[in-house]
Amino acid sequence: MSIFEICQWIQDSSIGTGIRESTYVFPLIEATHVLGLAVSVGTIAIVDLRLIGATMTKEPVTDVIEQLQPWTLWGFVSMFLSGGLLFWSEAARLYPSYSYRTKFIFLFLLGVNALVFHSTTYKSVDSWNNDAVTPFRARMAGWIGITFWAVVIFMGRWTAYNLK
Amino acid sequence: MSLLDLFKWFDATPISKIIRDSTYIFPVVEVLHLFGLTLLLGTVTVISLRMLGVGMRRQSVSEVASQLQPWSVGAAILTIVSGILLFLSEAMKCYANAAFPYKMWLLLGGIVLFFVAHRRVTSPTSKLSSGAMKVIAVLSLILWYGVAIAGRAIAFV
Repeated sequence: MSIFEICQWIQDSSIGTGIRESTYVFPLIEATHVLGLAVSVGTIAIVDLRLIGATMTKEPVTDVIEQLQPWTLWGFVSMFLSGGLLFWSEAARLYPSYSYRTKFIFLFLLGVNALVFHSTTYKSVDSWNNDAVTPFRARMAGWIGITFWAVVIFMGRWTAYNLK
Repeated sequence: MSLLDLFKWFDATPISKIIRDSTYIFPVVEVLHLFGLTLLLGTVTVISLRMLGVGMRRQSVSEVASQLQPWSVGAAILTIVSGILLFLSEAMKCYANAAFPYKMWLLLGGIVLFFVAHRRVTSPTSKLSSGAMKVIAVLSLILWYGVAIAGRAIAFV
């Protein structure tokens, strides 16, 4: 069974078909997916902007990161749940889409970026916590974060237009 | 001049035609609209959470609001300018759309609330009670998320 066939099977399941053909469920899930952007990527953008020295520079970096983290997490939960349901209903259409695949490559790279930042540069945060201008590697992590999230949003919207 | 005439005029501007005739301008402008939405709602959410006393509590309301609001305003400008371009390209669709007027009234409400509450929230010497602060925060969340929901609904109603 190929991956495409598995996607077709997922899409053709009763839940997948039910979501796709419903008048209200599909738009509601999609609305949740868009609003979740604000809570997940919106709060992450604030952290990245702090790292590059563009906002909240009067506050310690740890204050910004630690206090926004739970909200980012809730935003992600709503994004992945609603995104998962959207995929369920259109798996076979999404799987071959280049923009959809690119979106996931960049999501993965964002995960790597966050992991690298937290396991290296962030370990020494005590020595630059109050600096408006953070170390080069922290600023890089912030710029990569903002740029790659923009790519993810772009590719997500592009997928819906069915433009390769 | 009736409202219909006005919308017909918007629908017929040279910009409207350019966007309609292109395959890519509309999606690209819509992506910019989404960038703006993310940053606008994101910053509004964090400021509101602080006003409600459930987020960013190590900072004062004015510290959070005064540093994030410039980004709310910048993002609002990006969202509104891109939104006007989207509107011009499909003004007649918007005229006939049940969700569009709700979106516009909610947007107007959000903008009015911002100008009414702005100084009181960002000023460190604000005399605003925590109760009034919470009412403004809830109203702000309802209005701005309402704009986004009504906006998404335009594609479905």
